[in-house]
Amino acid sequence: MATATVDFNTLLIKRLRAKDTTALDYLYDHYSDALYGIIYRTLNHKEIAEETLHEVFMKIWDQIDSYDDKKGTLFTWMYRIARNRAIDARRSKDFKSSDKSDDITGFVDMFETSNNKEDYIGLSTVLNEIGKMCKKLIQLNFFEGYSHAEISENEEMPLGTVKTRLRNCLKEIKQKLRRDFE
Amino acid sequence: MSREEILNDGYLAAYITEELSTADAQEVETFLETDQEIQDEFYNLQKTVETLSFKYAISPSEVVKRMIMEDHKVISHMRGGSDTTGSGYKLALAASVIIALTSLVSAFYFWNQWQNTDYRLAQLTARNIELAESFNTVNQELSDIRQDLAVLVSPEFSRIILNGTDNAAESKAVIYWNPIEEEVYLNSANLASLPQNQQYQLWALIDGVPVDAGVFDAESGTFQIMKNIAQADAFAVTVEESGGADSPTLSTMQVYGEAAI
Repeated sequence: MATATVDFNTLLIKRLRAKDTTALDYLYDHYSDALYGIIYRTLNHKEIAEETLHEVFMKIWDQIDSYDDKKGTLFTWMYRIARNRAIDARRSKDFKSSDKSDDITGFVDMFETSNNKEDYIGLSTVLNEIGKMCKKLIQLNFFEGYSHAEISENEEMPLGTVKTRLRNCLKEIKQKLRRDFE
Repeated sequence: MSREEILNDGYLAAYITEELSTADAQEVETFLETDQEIQDEFYNLQKTVETLSFKYAISPSEVVKRMIMEDHKVISHMRGGSDTTGSGYKLALAASVIIALTSLVSAFYFWNQWQNTDYRLAQLTARNIELAESFNTVNQELSDIRQDLAVLVSPEFSRIILNGTDNAAESKAVIYWNPIEEEVYLNSANLASLPQNQQYQLWALIDGVPVDAGVFDAESGTFQIMKNIAQADAFAVTVEESGGADSPTLSTMQVYGEAAI
């Protein structure tokens, strides 16, 4: 299963590098919702988030040659582009002047909100088992674009603790989901 | 940094979000090239983030995909391949001339279509505004009628018929009066029209003393709001000079009715 996915992604990357627009079409259909979730949660503004998603896909299209599989999977590479672009958009002058705030206040637990996306076997159960602080740290860092330093300040938690706990939280989810990764 | 630190202190998670210093990132990359356990750990962390991202995905508007697929950077790759060697060149030249001509014709055609569409859009927009306006008018009328109806069905309002006097035997008027709120409405639709310099005036009679309850024109509608009246034994309408008089000209009295309380 895992091998097949890797091979498919290798082919996809090859076709993207050859500027095959059908590959981009596939990439968008497959990944846009996941990337948009990250961008939207970072910005909380539909128009700016959609504009950012457009920019992210143009960057993926333009810079696919710079993708290096030693530094992570194709998803991780796209995830980093989406997260960084969204953070840049949030810090931009335009965004700040549109009465949007870029601090952590107004936190809404995304794990609590129901959604109709396909439920990976057992994921909901696993997420119910991990602690509230775990979920909050993951959401702030991985889905809302807040840095370790920002989280450390907001949660009044030492920087080193933020890092270690994030890693432990992800590991806990992974261990509980172990069978899905095999 | 040691491999234990990399495995246990969150360096790999921070590497995913690119929150490591350049030096730390390079060290992590060095380990990633050779250390199978670190590779596995990194792969698992990435897969966890990916799984969560898919689980908490949000769909953007459909227009975003179109904007991306129609971006000039993408659209320029929609058709590839060009042949500039030998006989192929002439063929290509001929083809491009034909394409240029076809484009010109279709450009004109589409320009025309666009103009038509633009015109039709303007028409539809105008029609839309028209509809919105008449909707507002009808809405206003409806709310007026509702208000009138509320008066008609309210138990607080008493209905007083003013019958024609000898001056105007055929005339009739109706008063709706709420003594508690002191509200008076008048239906004067059955009164004859008057010359320009004259107006009707409504009077409330309290112990025989007339009190001005407002002037009105016969045509001005079925439900006119008159002056507030708290007390009255009867109501009467006289004909006066435009603007009304301080006391009624009794000889011109048109209709009269007693308030039955």
